[in-house]
Amino acid sequence: MANLNETIHQPVRLRIMAALVALEAGNEVDFSYLRDLLEVTDGNLGAHLRKLEDAGYIAVNKTFVDRKPRTFVAATVAGRRVFQEHVAALKSILKGK
Amino acid sequence: MDISPSEAEENLAAIQAVMQKTRHSIASSGTTVTLIVTGIVWLVGFVSTQFLPGEIIGYVWTGLSIFGTILGTIWGFRMGRRVRNPAVAATAKRAGLYWLFLVFFCTVTIAVAWPLDGKQVTVLIVLFAMIGHLAMGLLLSFAAVWWPLPITALVLISYFLLPDLFYLWMGILGGGGMIALGLYIRLRW
Repeated sequence: MANLNETIHQPVRLRIMAALVALEAGNEVDFSYLRDLLEVTDGNLGAHLRKLEDAGYIAVNKTFVDRKPRTFVAATVAGRRVFQEHVAALKSILKGK
Repeated sequence: MDISPSEAEENLAAIQAVMQKTRHSIASSGTTVTLIVTGIVWLVGFVSTQFLPGEIIGYVWTGLSIFGTILGTIWGFRMGRRVRNPAVAATAKRAGLYWLFLVFFCTVTIAVAWPLDGKQVTVLIVLFAMIGHLAMGLLLSFAAVWWPLPITALVLISYFLLPDLFYLWMGILGGGGMIALGLYIRLRW
């Protein structure tokens, strides 16, 4: 039986992971870019990013660019792996329809 | 944790939509910008070279080079603000140095091989530029590796098989092809 990942299954977190996994490995996206892409609020995105970071699925990199604080987000190797497993689980549920 | 097949289908559709939107968003300012800007420069520059008198062509290419550099810099800056690769950022200075060396080696090659006609100089410059793009693609972004290869093939075909139409071929097929490819990736990918 397929194993769905409960952390990733939440709709906003699922979309966050999908966006991050779509990037080339090693690339990271700006927080505001991700917010605009997913059409969510700062607070909502921040809360879900914390949960994914706590689970070790994403890495959050707070830095300064031109003396301004910036936050970059990337999927970790573990995050990419569990996301692929989650997608495989969804596909197996669909096949068993 | 159990969900219904229809819910699984909805989730997969949502994943697909976000991944496509992300790729499209990135593609619209990455490789596509390079392709479209270079395509415009080639189209105007080479078609002008085919038809305009020699004394005007220098001004056309100078203007196009300035246009391409400014546009490429602005878009590169915008792109860097949204998506970045820390490993790439760390090697950016080395990449810049690589391009300087490549320009130096290209200039030296032309000087050693001199006298050359305009077509030979053009082919050498384009070949060195494609080597540069290929190397950058292999080192920094594998997705950008493939496009210098068909462009190189196009240049060599026109140089060896269609010498009389060389500049026109380079402008319309090379430049126009890059613009079309850039637009296709931006709109359809």
